[in-house]
This record gives sequence, C-alpha cells and structure tokens, in this order.
Amino acid sequence: MQRNGKKATDLQIAICGSAGDGTIAAGDMVKRAMARAGYKVIAFDVYPPEIRGFGKCISRVRVTSEQVFSLKPKSDVLISLDDSHAIPHVGEVKDYGAVIYEDMPVTMVPEGGHISGHLLSSHLPYGVPFRELSERVTSSARSRNIAVVGYLAGLYGMPRDVFYAVISDKFKTKPAVLTKMSIQTFDAAFEVGENTFRLDEGVLKPPPKKAKHGELVMMSGNGAIAKGCMDAGLDTFFGYPITPATTIMERLAVDLPKQGKRMLQTEDEISAISAAIGAGYTGARAATATSGPGFALMSEMMGLGTMAEVPVVIFVSQRGGPSTGMPTKTEQSDLNIAVFGAAGDGQRIVLAPTNVEGCYKCAGKAFEIAERYQTPVVVLLDLYLSNRYEAVALPAKNPFAANCSKPVGKLGKDQPYHRYALTRDFISPRAIPGDKGRRHAVTGLEHDENGRPNDHTHEMMSRKRHEKLHSVVRYPGITMSKRFGDKGKVDVAIIGWGSTFGEILEAMIIARDEGIRCAAMKVVLLSPLPMEPINALLADAAEVLVPELNYEGQFANLLTGTTGRAVTRLNRVPGTPMHVEDIVDEIRRLAAKKKGRKALAAE
Amino acid sequence: MSNIEKPVYLEEKLEEIQASGHLEYRSKSLPTWCPGCGYFSIVEGLTAALNNLSIDPDETVVVSGIGCASRFPFFIDTYGFHSLHGRALPVATGIKVANDDLSVIVVGGDGDAFAIGGAHIPHAARRNVDITYILFDNGIYGLTKGQTSPTSVLGFQTTTSPFENHDMPLNPLMMLLSYGASWVGQAYAGHPHHMAGMIEEALAFKGFSYLHVLSPCVTFDKTSKTYQNLGMSVRPLPDDHDRSDVMAAMAQAQKTDAPALGCYFEQPRPTLADGLNDIAARAAK
Ligand SMILES: Cc1ncc(C[n+]2csc(CCOP(=O)(O)OP(=O)(O)O)c2C)c(N)n1
Ligand code: SF4
Repeated sequence: MQRNGKKATDLQIAICGSAGDGTIAAGDMVKRAMARAGYKVIAFDVYPPEIRGFGKCISRVRVTSEQVFSLKPKSDVLISLDDSHAIPHVGEVKDYGAVIYEDMPVTMVPEGGHISGHLLSSHLPYGVPFRELSERVTSSARSRNIAVVGYLAGLYGMPRDVFYAVISDKFKTKPAVLTKMSIQTFDAAFEVGENTFRLDEGVLKPPPKKAKHGELVMMSGNGAIAKGCMDAGLDTFFGYPITPATTIMERLAVDLPKQGKRMLQTEDEISAISAAIGAGYTGARAATATSGPGFALMSEMMGLGTMAEVPVVIFVSQRGGPSTGMPTKTEQSDLNIAVFGAAGDGQRIVLAPTNVEGCYKCAGKAFEIAERYQTPVVVLLDLYLSNRYEAVALPAKNPFAANCSKPVGKLGKDQPYHRYALTRDFISPRAIPGDKGRRHAVTGLEHDENGRPNDHTHEMMSRKRHEKLHSVVRYPGITMSKRFGDKGKVDVAIIGWGSTFGEILEAMIIARDEGIRCAAMKVVLLSPLPMEPINALLADAAEVLVPELNYEGQFANLLTGTTGRAVTRLNRVPGTPMHVEDIVDEIRRLAAKKKGRKALAAE
Repeated sequence: MSNIEKPVYLEEKLEEIQASGHLEYRSKSLPTWCPGCGYFSIVEGLTAALNNLSIDPDETVVVSGIGCASRFPFFIDTYGFHSLHGRALPVATGIKVANDDLSVIVVGGDGDAFAIGGAHIPHAARRNVDITYILFDNGIYGLTKGQTSPTSVLGFQTTTSPFENHDMPLNPLMMLLSYGASWVGQAYAGHPHHMAGMIEEALAFKGFSYLHVLSPCVTFDKTSKTYQNLGMSVRPLPDDHDRSDVMAAMAQAQKTDAPALGCYFEQPRPTLADGLNDIAARAAK
C-alpha cells in the first residue's frame, strides 16, 4: 500500500464558525458534492457541547483521489465564518495552506479580533467580502455559507455541476426560488474564486473515475447503521435518546414506519433493551442503540438475553466516560463493559466496525448472527465513527439474509419440544410464540433443556452457552479480522479496533514508506476473539503496538489476557481521534528498539 | 361472597375441574408455592378465564419478573417469559409491539411492580399497551423470605424493618387511575370465584387492564394481610358505582381500610398498536 503522493488529490478543508452560521451545512455541501464527483471523502463535524447560541462548530472534510482512512492533523484550507472561533485553529493550517475569511474594514473589528492579524507568514490569506456578495445576490446575508462554498469551489477548480445537484437536493422541499437564488450565490462566488490568484498545485486533479449516479453516497457511521438495520429487515427498534447514538433512533423513526415496522421511544434504557428482548423473543428482528450511561443500565438485561438465549442487537456509540463523562467527545472505553459487563460468566458477541462501510456491514450481519446464535450481539461504535462521514459504495444487491434461526423441524409423536435442547453445535432449535404445540417458558434462571428451573444443569448449560459461540469467528460474509501491510516477519505489528484503526492504517503506510517492516491488523470481532489470525500475526512480529482511545488499554488487556503476549500500549484520552503522528512515532521507536537489539546481538 | 360457600367433596371437585377443560392450561410442573399461598387460586382463576374465553394457549404469552408470584409462567401451559426483577412490563411491551396478535398477560408481585419496576407502570398504562397486568399484592417480599415492600402497612415488622415500618405504603389503585390505565379492578385471592370473573373481564378488555389481587403470604405475614384480616375487611364495590367515573373510582380507592372488590374504572381508548399502525399509515403516504 503506497501513495503516489504528488499527483494525487489530497485536500483537507476545515470550516469553522458559530452555530447558526451554517458551518456544518457548508461542510455538508462540500462533502456531498465531492463524493458525487467521484472523490473519496472523509469528514467529521465537531459541535459545541452545550446547546448554546454561539458555540463553536467545525466541519472538516478531506477530499482525496485515493482511499484514505483518517483525517490529517493539518488542514490545507481553513475557512472562517466567525473569526473569534477560527483564530485558535490557525495553527492547524499547513505551510502554504489557505485561510479564507470575511473581509471587513479594520474599523469594524476590535483589536486582535480579525483573523488576518493571526496568520503565519507561510499562510495564503484570502479575504473575501462574503456578506456583501451574498447580500448583493439574494439581498440577505443568510446565504453567506453558500457563497463561501462557491468561492472554495472556484478557487480549487471543483466541478460546478455536482454542487448544483447538491444544492437542488438540499432545497428540494423548499420553494424553487430558494434553489435558484442559492445557485446564483454559488455562481457569483465561484467566479470570484476562479479569478483569484492561486497556487497551481492547489487546483484539484480530476477524480480517477467519475462516479456513476448513486454509486458513492455520503454517509455517517450512524446513518450506515440505520441503513444496515433497514436492509437487514429490522422489525422493531426501542431506544432512549443519548448522544451520540440518538441519530440512529431518529433515522429509524422515519424509515421503519414507512415499511410498516415499528420504533418506540421507551422510558429509559432498561425498558429499551427489555422491550427489544421481548420483541426478539417473538422472532422479530429487534435492536436498541445507546451510549455508555445507557449501556451500563442494560447490563442486567443483556445477561438475561444470554441466559434465556434471546437474540437482540445493541448498538453502543462510545463517548468519554466514566459516568456522564464527555457526551460530545469520542473515546473507546466501553470495551470492558461490552465484553464483560453483566453478572455471571456469560460470553457474548461483540463486533466493532472500523469505518462507515463497516458500520453498514456489521449492523446487518449482527441481526443474522444474533438470530443464528440466539444471543445478544453488541456493535461497538464511537462518537468519531458515528458522526463522521465517508463516501461509501453500497452493494447493489442486499447482502443480508432473512431468518437465520435454527428451525424446529418435525417432532415425533409424543416427542416433546425442548427449548434448550442440547445439540452437536450447542444451538437449540428455536420455536416462537404462536408456533403450534411448542409451548415453553424462557427464563433467566438456570434451567434444564425444557426451560424448567434447575441448578444441577449449570455445568452443562454453561458449556452450551459458551461453546455455541465458537464458530462465529467463521461466520460468512463479514470480515472478523484483517491484516494489512507487510507479509511474513515484521518489525512492528499494530493491532487495533474501532475508529482508531483508520489512524493506525495511515500510520502504517507512512512507516512503510520510511522503510520500516510493519503490518497492521484490525479486529472486528472483539468477543470471542479470532485467535488464529491474531496468534499468527503475533508470531510474525518482533514488537506489538496497540493504540486505543482509553486510559488503561482495554483491548491490550484483552489481547494479553488471551495470548499471554506483552504488548506496547499507546493510550490517549483527549476526546478527539488519535494523531497519526503519535502512532508513527511509536512505530519508529519500536522499530529502532528492535534494530538496537539486533546490533547488540551482533557485537 | 363468603370464603366457604358450600362443602366441597374431592371427587365432585375433580370431576368438575376435568369437565371444565381448563386443566388444559395447567402445566405439568406443580407450583412450588407454600401450601395455602393465595397465588394458587390465581392460577386457577387465570386458567378458568383463558378456558372460558377460548384463548389459544399457543397464542398466549405469560410474562413475569422475579418473585414468588413471578414463578407463575412455569405453572401454566402457555408460552412464558420469566424475565428480570421489575422488568416484566417493558418485556411485554416489546412482545406486543412485535406481534400484536399474541395475548399477553403480565403477572408479578408488589415489590416487582412498585419498587424496582415502578418506573415502567405509568408508561405501560399511558401507552395503553393491550395487555392484562395481574398484580399479586401480599404486602411483603416473599421469595427473598419476608422483607418490607412498598405496600407493607405502617408499623409492619419484618426482617428489614425489625422495629417497625415507617414508610407510607403506596396506593396502587390511585396510582394506576392517575396513570391513565384504561381498566382498573381489584380482587381477593380468598374469593376465587369472584376473582376468576374479574380476570375474565380484564382479559376480555382491549387495552391496558390492571387487576390488583390481594393475596396473603401465609409464610411470612402472620399479622397484616392475612386471610383473616382481609376476609373481614374486603367488601364489594357499591352497586351504583359508575365505572366510567374516574373521580368515583378514586374515592373508592382511598378507602384502604375496607378494600372494595370489583371493576373501579373502564374507559376504552386506542391502544399502543393502534397508534403505531396510525404512524405507519401516515409514513406510507
Ligand atoms: C435486581 C434484583 N434485585 C433483587 C433481587 C432479589 N429479589 C427477588 S424477588 C424479590 C422481591 C419479591 O417480592 P415481590 O415482588 O413482592 O414478589 P413475591 O415474592 O412477594 O411474590 C427480590 C428483592 C433480584 N432477583 N433482582
Ligand atoms: S413465601 Fe409467601 S408469597 Fe411466597 S409462596 Fe410462600 S406464601 Fe406464597
């Protein structure tokens, strides 16, 4: 995996303003238009923690011609819609990067309040009277964010038609005049941009191939989860609002009823998962979505799902914790509770996608797996993955199978049905209410094959509940783990999970460009772990690095606990994604360490 | 409505039960309750009611939480979901949301309902989930061997209130009436025939029906809600009680010294499923 650096497009735009400036909307237009044009796009918005009038919003969009896996620490362009918020971000603009801002007479700004006074000598300043421009075309400053987008598009030679399409789409339900005026604003600003002095290398190269309509869609992680749910035929969803999971519920509240399916907002997370388990018990596909605090409340019910063997899917978008923690900041600190969080030793299935496309896959497959193994499946996301946008290509054909439950089949005369019958694969044929003559009770008490409370069966039934999960590592149609980079022996292996894997992959590519032999592995199935590929990688690696966004190294603990191999941990909890550079530094350090050892041995 | 209506002969009774057909609903497991526990007559009442209404046991789910009362699903031959302490109502809600064709009956004790599960009752009631909730009120925690419950009377002595209980008991009927439950009634385990009739009425009602059953715990309560004390204090609702009048129902519910048996309140209105169907119809447009 090598990047042919110079010739490729790689433009990261940061738009910064107050809530109400249309900052996020501007970013949204750029990312949708660029995906339409066939570029790879990855984008992440940061909202203010409080719903207060003038909080800071930043929308970052990275546009590339080749697949990338994370945002860059430095942006190529900073657009300020509000200088007071944008000034602290001037430092994130790279050398010879552009800063685009509202040009105002100095007399209108307090001392030090204008961004132009904060630029470094290596920055290219573009002061443009956007307010005036917007007012001239629409006689209102409200389309200022569209003017900004038009200017950006002109300056960087972006194709116009994709923006027209995105703007028409955006105002589809509004009076037609709005679309017309918006496009006029866009065009006016585009022409200004086009005719401004610019560095040639800044101009966008055409995408490798233009996307066919509908091929690439911009989707957030949570959007992809909702889409995966719909494509997998989700019947019922129960939820209680919590950042950053709420948007899954809000999407499904619109999409489910359209298919005659159901969404219910419950009184709390305990009810949400209880109802989902109740629905799962009837044979329906059922899910809930939450974040840390709600997930903590769900623990007891997940234990019941394990014991009573009821399928249910729980989406957990992690945020900073413990407790209420940092609702609008990302973190990966709910791995422990996902894998271990309930009374007793009930193993459960935990999946963690690493990118937006993975969200779609994991969401749909989670229903198949929950049904097949008759147990709760947790899909771990995090705020960064939930809220970030990527241009994804969805499969043309729905990839998910309906009903994967093990059928009861024909029973002999007088042969009673046993809900928890012991079988060779430890999965019992499953009847549901309404099935004739298969009446039984499910329970959270330890029970016999018939579901009757019984303590003497505990050894046998514990084995059943654990053993039945083993084959999930080979479940078809989903990548449970994947190795990238150098084959065979490597100096450094980086193992990761969740959204951080994007940064890991970027870091690995940089390290390999520097000549370090290294490989990276993403682990999607976090419980039960795919031991075979993990052990194979560990055997190949002189040093093992595990970067994750939690304080103790929850995944590192899991790895060391199951393999006995000591690993180097890289833990950060800034509430933001990990810096690629931090990972690269650590890879370099470990590679040097290995070299040092070799040299010592040679002496 | 006295406790002993006529002498009972075993053979006659057996014949009568077999002929009734409601044995079909009895599970092969014998209840594990203490002899004399009020809960036996509730099983009897529910099986009779299911039989009388010809409700298909294959299309019926009995959902419970945890407690002596909540062991119920094992003693009846329908589908059953013995869930978690306090969580029967949300589980039942999920079942009804997923499959409204099933008849769902929720059973549980007073601790299960009003202590740990208290947050769920208002919501099941206001949403008008089409289920029947039979609440077995013995004013004590039976399964955990005799602790104070939210309906224990003032001054009650248990292992966790060894001096005396100072916490005001809740008034479940008042709560359910104010939560907007569309059917609210009360029965007494010591009057099994009347109770069976009430269960039948509650089952037949479309919407959220709440039947409060006063039921002695013979093992751990020797002083408070005993057969003797309850038998002397219960009374029928007045003949002229208007079950469409919520204020009249509340006035009756206030008289906790002499609990009235019967249907307090009944007001049919659209159920949760009706609402969800309506949403789906709007969304389809
Ligand atoms: C979360 C949880 N906490 C506590 C218990 C222990 N527990 C089981 S039953 C029960 C109370 C039962 O009382 P009630 O609901 O009134 O039913 P009864 O046994 O009197 O019929 C308690 C506290 C439990 N099973 N789960
Ligand atoms: S302990 Fe009380 S409530 Fe429980 S079965 Fe015995 S008598 Fe009934």
